[in-house]
Amino acid sequence: MTKIIIAFVLFITSLVSAQGQFEQGMGKAFQLWGEGKNTEASAIFERIAAAEKTSWLPNYYVALVNTTSAFGTKDAAQIDLLLAKAQNALDIELIKNPNNAELLVVQAMINTAWIAFDPMTNGPKLSGTVMGLYGKAEAIAPENPRVIFEKAEFEIGGAKFWGTDTKPMCAQIEKAIGLFATFKPETPFSPKWGLDRAKIALKNCK
Amino acid sequence: MKSFLSITIFFFTLISFSQTTISGKIVDEKNKPIPNANIYIYGSYDGATSNNTGDFSFATTAEGNQTLIISALSFEIKKLEIVMNKYQSQTLVLKRIATELNEVLITAGTIESGGKSRVSVLKPLDILTTAGNPGDIVSAFKTLPGTQIVGESGKLFVRGGEANETQTFIDGIRVAQPYLQTANNVPTRSTFSPLLFKGTSFSTGGYSAEYGEALSSILVMNTIDEPDLEKTDVGVMTVGLGLGNTQKWKSNSLSVNTSYINLQPYQSLLPDNIEWIKPYESIGGETVFRQKLDRGLLKFYASYTAANFDLKQDDVNYPNKLRTQNKNNNLYSNLSYKGGFGTNWNIFAGISFAKSSNKGIFDVYNYDSSENASHLKLKLTKPISDKIKTSFGTDFFYTNFSESITNFNSGFHSNILAAFSETDFLFTNNLIAKVGFRFSKNYLLDESSIAPRLALAYKLAKNQQFSMAYGTFEQAPKNDYLKYTTHLQDEKAQHYILSYEFNKDKQIFKAEVYYKSYDNLVKYDTKSPVYNSNFNNSGTGYAKGLELFWRDNKNIKNLEYWISYSYIDTKRDYQNFPKQATPSFVADHTLSLVTKYWIQDWRSQIGATYTFSSGRPYNNPNEAIFMDGKTKAYNNLSVNWAYLISPQKILFFSVTNVAGIKNVYGYNFANTPNSVGIYESQAIVPTADRFFFVGFFWTISKDKKTNQLENL
Repeated sequence: MTKIIIAFVLFITSLVSAQGQFEQGMGKAFQLWGEGKNTEASAIFERIAAAEKTSWLPNYYVALVNTTSAFGTKDAAQIDLLLAKAQNALDIELIKNPNNAELLVVQAMINTAWIAFDPMTNGPKLSGTVMGLYGKAEAIAPENPRVIFEKAEFEIGGAKFWGTDTKPMCAQIEKAIGLFATFKPETPFSPKWGLDRAKIALKNCK
Repeated sequence: MKSFLSITIFFFTLISFSQTTISGKIVDEKNKPIPNANIYIYGSYDGATSNNTGDFSFATTAEGNQTLIISALSFEIKKLEIVMNKYQSQTLVLKRIATELNEVLITAGTIESGGKSRVSVLKPLDILTTAGNPGDIVSAFKTLPGTQIVGESGKLFVRGGEANETQTFIDGIRVAQPYLQTANNVPTRSTFSPLLFKGTSFSTGGYSAEYGEALSSILVMNTIDEPDLEKTDVGVMTVGLGLGNTQKWKSNSLSVNTSYINLQPYQSLLPDNIEWIKPYESIGGETVFRQKLDRGLLKFYASYTAANFDLKQDDVNYPNKLRTQNKNNNLYSNLSYKGGFGTNWNIFAGISFAKSSNKGIFDVYNYDSSENASHLKLKLTKPISDKIKTSFGTDFFYTNFSESITNFNSGFHSNILAAFSETDFLFTNNLIAKVGFRFSKNYLLDESSIAPRLALAYKLAKNQQFSMAYGTFEQAPKNDYLKYTTHLQDEKAQHYILSYEFNKDKQIFKAEVYYKSYDNLVKYDTKSPVYNSNFNNSGTGYAKGLELFWRDNKNIKNLEYWISYSYIDTKRDYQNFPKQATPSFVADHTLSLVTKYWIQDWRSQIGATYTFSSGRPYNNPNEAIFMDGKTKAYNNLSVNWAYLISPQKILFFSVTNVAGIKNVYGYNFANTPNSVGIYESQAIVPTADRFFFVGFFWTISKDKKTNQLENL
């Protein structure tokens, strides 16, 4: 009897601890990311990605962390490496699920980082691709606030370049802020970022 | 209670017994610590990030055989099989990823355009935003060191070599007739549209054994592997119309580009100094079809141009104007495959077919010439190890040339078989050598030869490297000679090149010195090569020089510019020269300054190109010394303006030689002296002092963002 109980308890504990491990690991990574320790955060997401093959989230965050790092970097070689790392992690998940709107948004962001790095060379080459990605993401998830917001923000960049009206994009940002309020992430660690940036962007609109 | 305690104890012992500490130090190949490396047990959550001294330590409950993963930015991922209870703290060495940014590369003599390569000195955009000759793919290369400004020709003249000493290749396969036919001293242009190409490599010497039948230089252009998106391009220009379309499917795509050029309206508005009976008119098109296969890519490229003109030009030897009428048909097609097979083998196979014909009237003579040419190539590449890579292959050139001038026929039929092999040795991460040779057999001339090639590169520091190249090069004499005699041999050249390169953050500096010797150059004993000339191979020559290049996209906001300077000292005894002399197409000093400035408020790119070259020699028969004359220096300032009307519409203006400087390329002298014993002369000048170009380009695509700026 004791043996059975021990075995049962062991089984349950291992399950619970595995569950707990994912939560703990992701939690730790988010904490580090929040503290601006992007490299450490990316390292933990990378470890979790290797252990949890069924979840697309760890690789999604590896890609997102490194892409946002690239936006804040000036060194050409470093940008190259960060974006390559982001792209590699994203490719693993995009092959499994090419119609995941959140993944498409990050893909568009990687391309936007390339444009920001060298607008003269990459602008004409990649702007079309970025709009294509947002278009696809919007068709899949028309109510996803990140899709609406990131698309509008990219379009504002273009509108400023062309000197055209940004009102329609600002309206989209407002719509996105509304969607953020009702958006329910599927799991505690599913993407839910973007509201703060959307609010700042809306402020800039006015 | 007792059993609960025992369970708790059991768990504690379990945990405390199985906990292992994994620690160590991460360093690079030079034993320098690597911070921020990610070290973890694969499939577990246990791991750590190395600190500033490269040290790491973490506790894990994993047991038995495990894989330790170490990953760090800019290093290759390391996988280490470990047995948990036997693991001991250790120093782990990571290998730096061999990216173009830190790799040692052979760059002597090579100028790259496009691609992300660090040695790339031109961006795809530069091909057309360089003020000068709008739309011509080779015009941007004429602003780079090593080339001569030969305005009356429009072709590439490299390091003291004639225009025919440069061979053009598309997707690795030779283009027999890369230029359109023009009259005497009217500049030509290449037949290719920049819309279809990405990445061009221009070598001014010391190139790979893969390329043969080129004495001085090669221009290697590659068509786009995969177009970005489906689109239609429309262009309306002062000189004609252009229309292009790209279609994409799942694993293949097709691009078609057509153009119609007619100089009639321009000539009637702004006549030049030529008397046109029928201004230049051409209709042409290019197409690329690409098919992705399991492990490779199949490409088909074809271009066709039909052009005609009829004109009268002044000539010092004729009392009346001299007539040239020409109908030119130029077809080129090539089929190529590149892909992988077996373990790490790469194969390239290609075949081309070219047919060009020129028909017309020169003075009172009817001429009709045609050239059929074909090139076949097969190349295999295999990395033997991390440090050694080898490639070998074979190619075959076929040329059938025939000409008839008022019932006098001449021509030839030539077959050249060649084999080549080349091996790269990476001695250390800072030193690479490329050793190769090229064997060639020319059946027409009944001659075989072996040409060795050698290149080295040494990386001095992160941003600096030296490279050198040596080789012997050979080329069959040109059609103009072979059509009259085949009792000739290949012309030969030897190149020695030493180059230094500095490359940092959007800035490139390049300095190159070279020495080149020529042998076996064709000579003849008449005013121009004719059927009864005595031809021989006794010509010789040399060229030596210094070239500097500086490009900076960093220091001034919104401004990109580059400066090239070339100094050359060259003499050759060839054609009907009585002794070694500097040929008329060579200027000792050549300088180019190219600038592009982006003005956001106007959504415009303004470009300006200034070129200078010192005087060029000419032979004045009134003087005792051969080739003793010198023209005045050449100066040209050209500007352009690309205005983005909307995301898909561009307006483009350009003016060549804004200041209208009267340049002189050289002088033609009368064959016989006049009544007072003087040979009269005629200056060779540009057909017009200025050239104006206005174009409107419109791209129609679904995403509404793409435009032809990349091609302007």
